[in-house]
Amino acid sequence: MAVQPPPPSRTGSVGPASAGGMNTPTAGTPVSQGPGAGSNQNLNQIVLEYLSKKGYSRTEAMLRRESGNVTFDANGQPITFDDKFKGRRWHEAYNVVKVWVDSILDIYKSELTRILWPLFVHCFIETIADCFPGEGRFFFNECRKPFDDEHSDDLRELSNIQEPEHVQQNDIAQLYRTNKYRLTLSKMGFATLIEFLETKEGEGGKSINFLINNHLDVRTVDRAAIGGARGLQRLMEEKQGDEQAPAEDEGIPGHHPGSANLNPDATGALHRLQLAPLPMEVDLMDDVKAELSHEDSSRPPRQGRSTLVEQFEQRIKVEPSDDTAPSRDSIPFPPSTARDVAMEVQKVKENRDRFRIEGKTGGVGPGVSVTMFTFHNTFDSVNCIEFSDDNTLAAIGTAESSAGLPSFIITTTYRAFGPVYALSFSPSAAIPAPPTNGHTDHPTSPDSHPRYMLSSSADTTIRLWSLDTWTNLVVYRSHNSPVWDVRFCPHGHYFASASADRTARLWSTPQIAPLRIFAGHDSDVETVAWHPNGAYVFTGAGVGDKTIRMWSIAQGTQARIFTGHAGNITAIACAPNGHVVASADDKGVIILWDLRTGRLVKRMRGHGAGGIWSLDWSVESTVLVSGGADNSVRVWDVQPSKETHPKVNGENGGVAKIDGATANGGAAAGKVAKAKGREQSTADMISDFKTKKSPVYKVRFTQMNLVVAGGAYLP
Amino acid sequence: MSVWNPENVTDVAESIGIASLNRDVVEHLARDVEYRMSQVLNEALKFMRHGKRTTLTTQDVSQALRLLDVEPLYGYESTRPLRFGEASIGPGQPLFYVEDEEVDFEKLINAPLPKVPREMSFTAHWLAVEGVQPSIPQNPLTDPRSAELAAKGSSANSTLAAVSGNDNVTVKPLVKHVLSKELQLYFERICGAILDEGNDEYRSAAFASLRTDTGLHQLIPYFVQFVADKVTHNLKSIFILSQSMQLLAALLDNQSLYLAPYVPGIVPSILTCLVGKHLGNPAMDGATTHFALRDYSASLLSKIARQYGPSSSTLKPRIARSCLKHFLDSHKPFGTHYGAVLGLTMIAGAQGVRALILPNLKTYDLHLREGMKDDGKREQADYVVQAILRGLQTLQEDAVVTATSNGHPEGDALKERLVEAVGEVVGGRVYDSGRQDLINAVMEKDPAV
Repeated sequence: MAVQPPPPSRTGSVGPASAGGMNTPTAGTPVSQGPGAGSNQNLNQIVLEYLSKKGYSRTEAMLRRESGNVTFDANGQPITFDDKFKGRRWHEAYNVVKVWVDSILDIYKSELTRILWPLFVHCFIETIADCFPGEGRFFFNECRKPFDDEHSDDLRELSNIQEPEHVQQNDIAQLYRTNKYRLTLSKMGFATLIEFLETKEGEGGKSINFLINNHLDVRTVDRAAIGGARGLQRLMEEKQGDEQAPAEDEGIPGHHPGSANLNPDATGALHRLQLAPLPMEVDLMDDVKAELSHEDSSRPPRQGRSTLVEQFEQRIKVEPSDDTAPSRDSIPFPPSTARDVAMEVQKVKENRDRFRIEGKTGGVGPGVSVTMFTFHNTFDSVNCIEFSDDNTLAAIGTAESSAGLPSFIITTTYRAFGPVYALSFSPSAAIPAPPTNGHTDHPTSPDSHPRYMLSSSADTTIRLWSLDTWTNLVVYRSHNSPVWDVRFCPHGHYFASASADRTARLWSTPQIAPLRIFAGHDSDVETVAWHPNGAYVFTGAGVGDKTIRMWSIAQGTQARIFTGHAGNITAIACAPNGHVVASADDKGVIILWDLRTGRLVKRMRGHGAGGIWSLDWSVESTVLVSGGADNSVRVWDVQPSKETHPKVNGENGGVAKIDGATANGGAAAGKVAKAKGREQSTADMISDFKTKKSPVYKVRFTQMNLVVAGGAYLP
Repeated sequence: MSVWNPENVTDVAESIGIASLNRDVVEHLARDVEYRMSQVLNEALKFMRHGKRTTLTTQDVSQALRLLDVEPLYGYESTRPLRFGEASIGPGQPLFYVEDEEVDFEKLINAPLPKVPREMSFTAHWLAVEGVQPSIPQNPLTDPRSAELAAKGSSANSTLAAVSGNDNVTVKPLVKHVLSKELQLYFERICGAILDEGNDEYRSAAFASLRTDTGLHQLIPYFVQFVADKVTHNLKSIFILSQSMQLLAALLDNQSLYLAPYVPGIVPSILTCLVGKHLGNPAMDGATTHFALRDYSASLLSKIARQYGPSSSTLKPRIARSCLKHFLDSHKPFGTHYGAVLGLTMIAGAQGVRALILPNLKTYDLHLREGMKDDGKREQADYVVQAILRGLQTLQEDAVVTATSNGHPEGDALKERLVEAVGEVVGGRVYDSGRQDLINAVMEKDPAV
């Protein structure tokens, strides 16, 4: 047996030399020349020399490493571990901690429970890496139960890892091995944990300590400093609700809450954001004003209504806020045209005449009207639905590689070369046609149609279609994986795409190469959204990463990173006021984030599992509407409520106070619902409109605050 | 140890000529195969998610393979889920395989083309108006209590919330439609009585019962089916046809019955009696008896249209469309045309006559003249002319009293104009009638003038 090592070296890639837990120089080795320690060493020496002479360098290295592991007892006999115990080493260690955490004082319990997940993952990975597939699987199935809800996707990806090579190749496993899982514990909690591990050193405490040191980044904070956030009272309250949700600063790419900085030593200072609307071109503004005053004089507004010019002034008035607007120089746009003037005029008009939604007053939400467009005979082949801004066109992207516009479905069927996953229209507004001879033939002028449409597909391309000629104008190739999402800038000209190659890219329509590549996500970038001023892009990623990142398009850098989702991010929408962004995942949770402070505002639950495909905000940013796979359109109140207050760390205590001051109204209503215990939907859901067996793929607020929803009927 | 059976690996190894594989290697490979498969599945799930679907398709898997740089599997492209067959290769050892049907080539070639899948289309409806979900057929039925709760913005009651959250899990009760013995007996008796040619008294008693009895709701579908059956199989018997129509009339008369859901089932039978090609047996019943049946059917149809037209927006247009189609088909006999004209007049009224009949009269005249020339058909054609005139009369009733007869020429010139407008036969008749009002009504066929 001792002379066997050379042959395996040729097939070294098949399995590790220690497969099956067989150590070469074990007691079973038929060593005939006396069992002295010296002779054993000699034998190793001889074999090593032989190997190096023959050039089996890898086998030699392996042997050296393994013989180093073997400790010798007093007689010079190698001490071998019982294989069975070795395979169960991590399992035992994990169990020791688990049992301890389960029985610990309540004040530590909730924070220490959070440490179990990373420990579980690492124990599993280590067991597999030690070549114990059977034990690894047993451990996995035995202990996965508590994580089924929150980490189901990660569990699915991990569940089939059976060999050390798989650990090397699996994305999730690599993510956990190469990054440090960040976790915040109170000082006392962490100290008790370490103390406990030291007393249990022989029974696995050492192993766990090793994991904590090598793979976890435990931050300790003083409980007194955290104050309310993780104080006793807070913990008690939490027990009924959010226990399962990860904290804002927890997770793989541990970051400073509110900053995009991945370096743990960086200061927590926030990047200043430019959240004010993009200033208008001076020429354009003059033109629009002239047009509006002409309109006002020819058609004076009804009694009590403001004139269009007043409305416009109010809109562009620079509010005395600390928001700065991005400068037009940093984001160049092509010069405006007559069409832009007409569109601006129309927007002002619609803004004045819109149905106003004032937010939740006295517990009763505003009455929102929803028009539902249901597609029939789709056979579940519709991947996405998109409505144009002027409400005249709807487009569907299907699995059969075509993006058809229903109104032109017969005459023009666009052929792409893979399932179409996203569509986006260039901006437009329903401009009324100029009256000819006293009456109009069409309600809208041909000018109001969107000019272009983008489609993204599994064939890794993005295509630009002209809606004047109904042809494909440009194919943008740069991504090297399916492109999951594409979205036009609110001002046109630029667009952003998100792909399975873990990048998001920024493009401008006239150039076939991307202008910016936003790299940083650790898994597929699933969805992309624009800030209303066009200076920032939001991206959301899937399993493994689950973060939402905000990128500045002028600098091409990350401005914010938000962690807290437990599922794949399926939709993002930024409020028209530019201060809040909403994100949804496929576990049915919607989270609101404050951009300025970079903190979680609140978590909203209610949708069933299966994905919230679309989100949109009312014009006033007071109401959020969502549509998803559970056949419903839901309307949400966005006022921050007290219960779901952001968890804040000591460093940013001041921020929490500001948030606390803004919490109003909704809090009272929230409290009532909370008292009834854990229920299916949070109290901020204003209404829930069920559709008839039609998953809702798209919801959109028009400029007049009407909700347009699109879905496919799946009998 | 692994789900994937290591023996599979041994089999594959043997098939490519590797006779002996180490046990460890085999197990290792089996575990690797399993991992690779889960990798493919995880990628495929990603495609499923982005397709916003809940079922994994073969296309997702081939997309995933492509993404992982593996050659896709061909031959599994299908929009339908695969069917799996099960076979037993030993006790407790089921073997699953993809069912691959044997297709007879001859049959496949001669089989008619499959139906073209329906074109994708879309409809719009109000899902909510000012925060309230209207209860229209496009929206799902909601428990009013939970709807109220949702509107208030707090689903405080967890059970209610659960109900509203899981309402797509509808349990369809598989209860059979049970008819009591009495009702069955009643149904048989009524049907027997109605078709009993010899016993007038018996028959009228049956109709009276249908007209007034209150507990017949369960029997409606059976009666509708009965009528449909009798009408389709007894086109030669004027008696059965007219009895069937009377049966329907009786049901319509019954105040306690709610017939709206059955109207779509009733209308075809009536239309058959109205515009059927050959109704009755001319040798036995005479050549013109069927006109009476058509008259009766037309009045029945107009009654239904009046009663249920408002609740179903498509009912009237549908009837009118099929009538018009028959009217314009010159290959149909005059009886059909008669029925069609009658139906149109009854359903659509003066407006229908003006919009649908009047413009077509000129072309129809050609056919009519031929009929008039043919002795065998003259009588039938005459009926059609009568029907048309009757239709034109409704025009007269509807017409705005303009009294601008001075706008029209007199005498032959007038006749010429009339003939030009509505054709020779009808124009002549209208002129002969000499009624100024009627002439006016016909002449001002174009309301814009």
